[in-house]
Amino acid sequence: MIQLTNLNKTFGQKIAVSNMNMSLTEGKVMGLIGQNGAGKTTTFRMLLNFIKPTSGSITWNDQPITQSDKRNIGFLPEERGLYQKRTVEEQILYFAELHGMSRSDARVALKDWMKRLDVVGKITDKVQSLSKGNAQKVQMIASLIFEPKLLILDEPFSGLDPVNTSLMMNEILRLRDNGAMIIFSSHDMNNVTKISDDLTMLKRGKIVLQGPVQSIREKFGRTRVYVESPISGNELASIDGVNSVVPRGVGYDLILSDEAAGHRVFDLVTKDGYIPAFSQQPPTLDDIFRQEVAIHD
Amino acid sequence: MTNQLFIVIKDTFLSHFKSRGYWMLVLSPLIFIACAGAIFFGITKMQGNTTPNIAVIGNQEIRRILVKSEKELDIHVSKLTNRQKANRALQNEKLDGILTVNDDSATITTQPKSNQIPKEEITAILGNLSRSKKATSYGLTAEQTADLVQNFNLKTVVKQATKSNRTGNSETANQLLASAIGIITMVIVMWYTSMIANAIANEKSSRIMEILLAATSARVQYFGKIIGIFGLVLTHLIIYVVTSFAGFNFFKDNSFVKILSTNLSGVTLSFVIYAVIFILVAVALYLVLTSMIASLINDNAQVQQAIQPISMIAMIGYFFSFIMTQMPNNLLIRILSYVPFISQTMMPVRLVTDTEGWPAAIIALLLAIVTLFLLLWFGQGMYAKNVLSYSDESIMKQLTASFRKNK
Repeated sequence: MIQLTNLNKTFGQKIAVSNMNMSLTEGKVMGLIGQNGAGKTTTFRMLLNFIKPTSGSITWNDQPITQSDKRNIGFLPEERGLYQKRTVEEQILYFAELHGMSRSDARVALKDWMKRLDVVGKITDKVQSLSKGNAQKVQMIASLIFEPKLLILDEPFSGLDPVNTSLMMNEILRLRDNGAMIIFSSHDMNNVTKISDDLTMLKRGKIVLQGPVQSIREKFGRTRVYVESPISGNELASIDGVNSVVPRGVGYDLILSDEAAGHRVFDLVTKDGYIPAFSQQPPTLDDIFRQEVAIHD
Repeated sequence: MTNQLFIVIKDTFLSHFKSRGYWMLVLSPLIFIACAGAIFFGITKMQGNTTPNIAVIGNQEIRRILVKSEKELDIHVSKLTNRQKANRALQNEKLDGILTVNDDSATITTQPKSNQIPKEEITAILGNLSRSKKATSYGLTAEQTADLVQNFNLKTVVKQATKSNRTGNSETANQLLASAIGIITMVIVMWYTSMIANAIANEKSSRIMEILLAATSARVQYFGKIIGIFGLVLTHLIIYVVTSFAGFNFFKDNSFVKILSTNLSGVTLSFVIYAVIFILVAVALYLVLTSMIASLINDNAQVQQAIQPISMIAMIGYFFSFIMTQMPNNLLIRILSYVPFISQTMMPVRLVTDTEGWPAAIIALLLAIVTLFLLLWFGQGMYAKNVLSYSDESIMKQLTASFRKNK
C-alpha cells in the first residue's frame, strides 16, 4: 500500500499541495480530479521522487520509496514523449530493461501488447512513421509492458477516440485485477466514473472530496431525475421540492431540493399509469465537480 | 543501479554507434585524407620523371664520379660527351642541363623547361675533387687529403638543465604537431559536445526524460550518458589509431611518410600515450560540462545556445596552439599550460619541444584529472536539479543561478 501522509509542497509562496492524505491499495484504481493547477501533476511528481515534498511523507508498505521500488512503477506523463527516430522495438525494449525486464521477455510481450492494443504498424517501424493515436498506444505499452505494481497515469485518455479509450480502460482494469495500485488523473468525469474505485478531488492543492466514487455521489442525495411523461414542464416545476426543470430530448431533467421530492414527482407522472422513463440518480461526478469548484471559489 | 547504469551506457553507445551520423563523423576525415592523398599521388604521377638528365662535358673523371653518384644525387648522367651534340639535345629539350667542367671552374647550362638540378650537391662534389687534386699537387698524404676535404660537422642540440640531449623534431614539425593537437582536440570536442547536448536536449524536450527518471535516477542518466558518449570517443580514437598504424605500415616507403617520420623523430611512444590520455581527459571534461549545461535546455533549438560557451573555451586552446611554439616563455602561455580545459593543447607540445619536462607535464595532467572528478561530482547535483525543470530564462541566466544554488 502507498500512503501519502500530511503531504505539503510549496514553490516559493505558492502552495501546490496542502496537507494531503491518501492511500493507494492493491487492486484499486484511484481517480485524481481537479482543475488545471489543482496539484495533480505535483502529487505525481512527488510520488515519483522527481521533487521532494516540503513536508509530510510518502511510504510504500510503511517504507520510503527506494530506487529499486521505482522499477515497479509505470508512469505515463501528460506530455507524451518517445524517441521519434528509433523503432518501436528499440525503445520499448530499452524502457522495459530499465524496469528490470529481460530483452527476450520484453520482445515476446511487446508483440502481444501490439495485438491487444490493436496498434497499426510493425515493431520495426520508427515512431515518427506512426499515427498520433498509435504512438500514444506505444507510449502506453512502454508504461505497462513490465506489469508495474504501481501505475501512475497523467491524463491517459486525452487525445484518444472512444474505441481506443475503451481499449486502454480494459488494460488498466486488467492490471487492477492483477493487483496493481493505479492512480490516474483525468478531466473526463465519465472515464473517472467508469474505472475508478476511489476518488480524490483537489482544489488549489487541497482535498475537497475523497472516497469511493459511488458513496461520494450518494452523499449528495438522489436529487437528479429524468422523466418522460405527458405532464408538461410547468406542471413539473410546480411540484414542491423541484428546483429546476430543463427539457432534454423527449423528456425533462429535474433537479430536486431533496430526495423525498422524487416520490411526489413519481406520483404525479404515473397518475395515469405507464410512463416510458423515470430515473432518480445522485448527481454525476461532472455535476459534483462543477458544484465543488463553485463552492470553493 | 549498476545494471541500470550499464543499460543506459549501452543504449547511449549503441543508439549512436548504429546511426549513419556517427559513421559520417568517423569516416569523413579518413575519406578526406584518402582523397587528398589520391590527388597528391595523381599530381606527382602526372608530373612524370623529375630526375634531371645531365650531360658532362670536359673532365671525364668527374663524369665517372657523377655516374657513380647518380642514385645519391637523384640525377641521370647522359651518354653524350660531345659539346655540339649536347647543345642540340638541350635545345630539343632532351637534356635538362650541360655541366661543362674546366680546370678550376664549371658551368651548368639549362633550358627553361629543365627539371631541377641539385646544384649544391654537385658543387660540393666538384669542390672536394678540386681540393683533393690540389692537395696531391702540394704533396699531402692521402690521410691529410681526406682530413682536408672532410665537411665541417654542425649539429643542432637543444640543451636544458636536467633534460636529455636529444635533437628532437624540426621547428616546422613542432609547429605542425602543436597545430595538429589543437585541431584534433577542438574537432573532437565540437563533435561530441554537440552529440551529448543533443541527446540530453532531445530526451528533456520530448519529456522522455520523465519516463526514464520514473525508472532510474538522474545520477544513472547523467553518468550513463557521459560514459556512453565517451565510449564513442574511445571507439573513434581506436579506429583512427588502427587506421594510422595500418596506413603508416602500408606507405612506409613513401617519401612523404619518410619525411614525416624523420621530422617527428622527437615524438616517442611515452609522449603519444601522454598526449592521448590528456586529450581524452579534456574531452571527458568538456562532456561533463556540456551535460551540466544541456540539463538546462528546454527544447532542441537551444542546443547551439548551450554549447556556445563551451566552444568559446575550446577555441582558446585552439588559438594558442598556433602561436605557442613561437613564444614558449610567454607568461600567459606558461600559466594556461596548467589550466584544465585548455592545458591539453599546450602542455603536450611544451613537453615535446623540451620547453617543459615530465614533472610539469604530469602536474598539468593531474590537475585536469582532479578537475574532472570534482566537476563530475558537482555536475550530478546540478543535472538532477535541472533536468526536469523548465524555465523561460536564458541558458546563461539559469546556469549562473544553478551554480549559486549548488554552492
